[in-house]
Amino acid sequence: MKKKLLAAVLGATMVVSMLGGVASAEEITANGEYTFEIIVKSYQSSYWQAAVKGIDSEKEKLGVTANSNGPNAESDIADQVNMLNDAINKKPDGIGLAACDQEAVLESLQAAKDAGIPVVLFDSGVPNAPEGSVYSTIATDNYGAGATAAENLYGALKDKIAAKDEAGEVVRIGEVNQEATSESITSRGLGFIDKFTELAAADGHTVAVVGNEYYVNNCKEAGDEASACIIIEVAVPAQTTVELCATEAANILNKEDVIGIFGSNQVAAEGILTANGNLGVLGSDPETTVLAAGFDAGSTIKAAVADGTMFGAVTQSPLAMGIKTVDVLTQIANGEEVTDLPTDGYWYNAENMDSDEIAPNLYD
Amino acid sequence: MTNQNAVTAGKRKSSLEKLGGQKFIVLLVIVGLAIFFSVMSPAFRKYTTLVSILDYSYYIVLMSIGVTFPLITGGVDLSIGTGLICYSLVGGYLISFHGFPVWAGMLVTVLFGVAIGLLNGTLVAVMDIPPFLVTLCTCMITRGLGSIIVGGFGITWPTAAQPGGWFRSIFKINIAPRVMLPIGIIWVLILVAVMAYVLNHTQVGRYIIGIGSNKEAARLSGVNVKIYHISAYVISGLFAGLAAIAYSAIFTTVQPGTGAGFELEAIGGAIIGGVSASGGSGTVTGSLLGVFVICLLKTGLPFIGLQANWQQIITGLVLIGAVLIDVIKKRREVH
Amino acid sequence: MGDVILTMKGIDKSFPGVHALDHVDLEVRRGEVHALMGENGAGKSTLMKVLTGIYTKDSGTITFEGKEVEFHNTREAQDAGIVIVHQELNMLGHLTVAQNIFFGREFKKGFGIDDKKMNEEAAKLFQKLNIDIDPTDTMSDLTVGKQQMCEIAKAISHEAKVIVFDEPSAALTETEIEELFKIIRDLRAQGLGIIYISHRMDEIKVITDRVTVMRDGTYVGTLITEECTKNDIINMMVGRVIYEDPKTHSMVPEGAPVVLKVEHLNAGKMVQDVSFELHKGEILGFSGLMGAGRTETARAIFGADPKESGKIYINGREVTINTPEDAVKYGIGYLSEDRKRYGVVVQKSVAENTTMATLKKFVNGIFINKKKEEQVAQDYVKSLDTKTPGIDQLVVNLSGGNQQKVVIAKWLTRDCDILIFDEPTRGIDVGAKNEIYKLMNKLAAEGKAIIMISSEMTEILRMSDRIVIMCEGKITGEIGIEEATQENIMNLATREIS
Repeated sequence: MKKKLLAAVLGATMVVSMLGGVASAEEITANGEYTFEIIVKSYQSSYWQAAVKGIDSEKEKLGVTANSNGPNAESDIADQVNMLNDAINKKPDGIGLAACDQEAVLESLQAAKDAGIPVVLFDSGVPNAPEGSVYSTIATDNYGAGATAAENLYGALKDKIAAKDEAGEVVRIGEVNQEATSESITSRGLGFIDKFTELAAADGHTVAVVGNEYYVNNCKEAGDEASACIIIEVAVPAQTTVELCATEAANILNKEDVIGIFGSNQVAAEGILTANGNLGVLGSDPETTVLAAGFDAGSTIKAAVADGTMFGAVTQSPLAMGIKTVDVLTQIANGEEVTDLPTDGYWYNAENMDSDEIAPNLYD
Repeated sequence: MTNQNAVTAGKRKSSLEKLGGQKFIVLLVIVGLAIFFSVMSPAFRKYTTLVSILDYSYYIVLMSIGVTFPLITGGVDLSIGTGLICYSLVGGYLISFHGFPVWAGMLVTVLFGVAIGLLNGTLVAVMDIPPFLVTLCTCMITRGLGSIIVGGFGITWPTAAQPGGWFRSIFKINIAPRVMLPIGIIWVLILVAVMAYVLNHTQVGRYIIGIGSNKEAARLSGVNVKIYHISAYVISGLFAGLAAIAYSAIFTTVQPGTGAGFELEAIGGAIIGGVSASGGSGTVTGSLLGVFVICLLKTGLPFIGLQANWQQIITGLVLIGAVLIDVIKKRREVH
Repeated sequence: MGDVILTMKGIDKSFPGVHALDHVDLEVRRGEVHALMGENGAGKSTLMKVLTGIYTKDSGTITFEGKEVEFHNTREAQDAGIVIVHQELNMLGHLTVAQNIFFGREFKKGFGIDDKKMNEEAAKLFQKLNIDIDPTDTMSDLTVGKQQMCEIAKAISHEAKVIVFDEPSAALTETEIEELFKIIRDLRAQGLGIIYISHRMDEIKVITDRVTVMRDGTYVGTLITEECTKNDIINMMVGRVIYEDPKTHSMVPEGAPVVLKVEHLNAGKMVQDVSFELHKGEILGFSGLMGAGRTETARAIFGADPKESGKIYINGREVTINTPEDAVKYGIGYLSEDRKRYGVVVQKSVAENTTMATLKKFVNGIFINKKKEEQVAQDYVKSLDTKTPGIDQLVVNLSGGNQQKVVIAKWLTRDCDILIFDEPTRGIDVGAKNEIYKLMNKLAAEGKAIIMISSEMTEILRMSDRIVIMCEGKITGEIGIEEATQENIMNLATREIS
């Protein structure tokens, strides 16, 4: 509960700059010639190359030195630990780390603390990190990212919902979440539900949330199915496979009143696309087709967004994480107080997916 | 003990057994489930749902055909699920990142399956390690191996629109806008027929049944039981490789680290279809029918609005029911 | 009798701890039925396994049809024309009769197996042997006798020149034995060499031409059947081994109390309306053919199998025994016929096996009192005269007889007053057998009541105070040791029940 509250507060207080790109705080300047070592999960992949790009652009801007490195694959845990130990031995002013394994890095984090080197984690946290070793964790605000999907989907469906509500008809929005246990997935799912409900209520529509108990019980307002004009139906498959996500998605997409659907991670979004392979109901025109919002990238989703099968998707921003990592490391070196920093999710669709802000964030 | 069983067994063929025994019951269950779900859910009655059920059944059916053979020897193959993902990752990786033509990637996928099957079979038959242990180990190995080879990332096989996307039409062709013809079922049925023939009418099949029935007797008959014992696992690996291709064609993106649990659906299907949990008897057609029970449940239960955990419980109950039939049948033979 | 077809000379074979064959000779002629005799563990089966390539001999020569041969597996022996009809049936229960007969050398048609041709050939074979079996029947549906016939048909279908019958009659009824003999005579007339292993003295006189006797893994001698008496053979078989004297009268004291009484026990087809009494200090023999229901009766009493009806009284008090745990509580111990499966854990030490069933007694808190365990194990090793290098020795390294003693020790630690020995000397060599006999007599003299299930007539006659005979799940007779003979027991054991 506590986590959820925190996420909600962060989501609400954060200024979401829609397509505003990557804003770094204006007032940061480096008060010295700092050197940082930054280690990503995998140096080869396009996702992490985007993070490195962010790091490189920000270090030039601030005039600091930031050496980035990373193992060949995310599964090369031992290699990453070695790199981390090497980084500690170089005695830099700070270390940025996207840990491949939460447990394997614990000893090294202790060593960094003993050597007095501040560590900033990005992309993934390390829950059991030794007290005082990690100064800040920079990761995607999942609740806010779910809300971003809701804002864009609602924006496109707004007129249709208004027309249907006037005619006294019910519309249905589907949501496929691969599970109801992990923090990241549930936050995204609830972020979508709460934001969609909030926007609809502001326009005077009533909303009911049905389906999976966890989401129904934990969203802000579950509503009443009998009187609602918008039904948000949440499905969770029995196992986290594309196949079962597809079956759940097909079940929702088969209903006559469905106008939009959201898949809260890559597997769920791919499940929606797999189901559509036989149904053929998705598209980008709210009048004739069902609009689908996805999450993350991967070539299947990218292709579907590019050809308009998927209306759009939310991507996390490794680019922004890279920039913020360098910012926070600089602030620490300056002796400023820092806290954990959530980063935004970014909406992309066929129009903007090739832009400079978005394209680097979309991995295959 | 066998002698004494035989004394009392006598000849009793019930009318049910004449109709194909357990297979007939399973067929009734399939028809019953299909009717039930159709009545309960209008969406279930749609043609597209049928296509989806078939789409999602191919890879399990193929695994199930294969795993029927080790099961009949009295063993098991737990490596087929994670193996499927591993083979598919490697094949897709070679196509996407190393410019392999699609046919070559498919060939590598299948051959990788055969190789792991050979490894399983050798460890079981020659080194005499229990199949459960051997295939549990190769299950873990393949899970890690696929991930390492491709660098820990999801692999996407060519989509229908991309060059090389032709291989998808092995399973499904577009005959009109939004109308798919699930031709994969034809290949699956042909493979079922071929493997049913192999099991019942060739020496490989006969000796595999013999190993499950009484390995020592088979050995004393001068049969090279090791070779045939190995071949059961090779068949299982081969079909896991074929299943990998079906999986890649239907689901496009393959994520490393997944696949655990697929084997249980295939093994469960085989057991529902009448493969004896202790070996010696079973049929390929039975396994096919058993898998359809599982696939119907997997698609039908969400369609009637049942939540995730209930789906698992009901599938588990159906499996227990199938195993109970097997156990009761055996007990009746003893007394 | 024709010329010599098979000669085995100086065959030697050792297993860890046992010198199974010590320079054994055997000679078989064409058109001869040659009996191979000896007590259990004399080495007959081992010799046959060496002949058919299942075991590799350490030394010696095998000459077949004038050429020295060495078979590496049964297939090579079969191909040469030597086949064995096993004592334990080697059938594949899930397959049909024809599929069994031609297993390993199926007729082929293209890629597939020609089951139709196999059925026809099997039918021809049965016709030739005058046996009425449908080749398309599933093997496990046949009676043991019919299964035995299939084994013989299989052997003959190999175009055999020498056929070994390993105790073929053990599970057969009188009529089936008649049929078997007819087949054997036919084969003899066709000029085949036949090796016939049996314990039944009567059969030997009826069907065989010569007898070779083995004892303790050595060759004793060969006699012409017509020229010798039963006693000649027995003397050669028993040889130097001095057994416990056969009982001539019951050793049970007059008026010994009934410790176990079973009334109208029913448990499936194999146990029908079984009633008997067991006295303190008595050894009650249970005789009958394989599958007569003796083991099933014991298992039902012991609570290992479910009972349908019937009453059990221990020391006059009616008791309910639903599980082996109940049985043990009432002081009943069961020594299974299959030691390795049910009796001992072969990969554990003598001490661990001895105390396994009563571990509670040796536990202080959560720790096993090793010292006490060792003491008890040591005591039993001494009192039962178990031959082991030490109580830490793994049971797998002991001989069969000494393994059996460990099992006995295990039950004695539980203070069992009623002991059921199921085939107590199966697979135990001759010398050790006698020690088990001695021990059983000693236990009876100490007041333990013993049920001894045995398929060996000599054992039944030597050990029992009283004999209960079973046939097809029913008790067909009860004879005091004073009146018991091999004939009247056999008569009751094979009585057809209509």
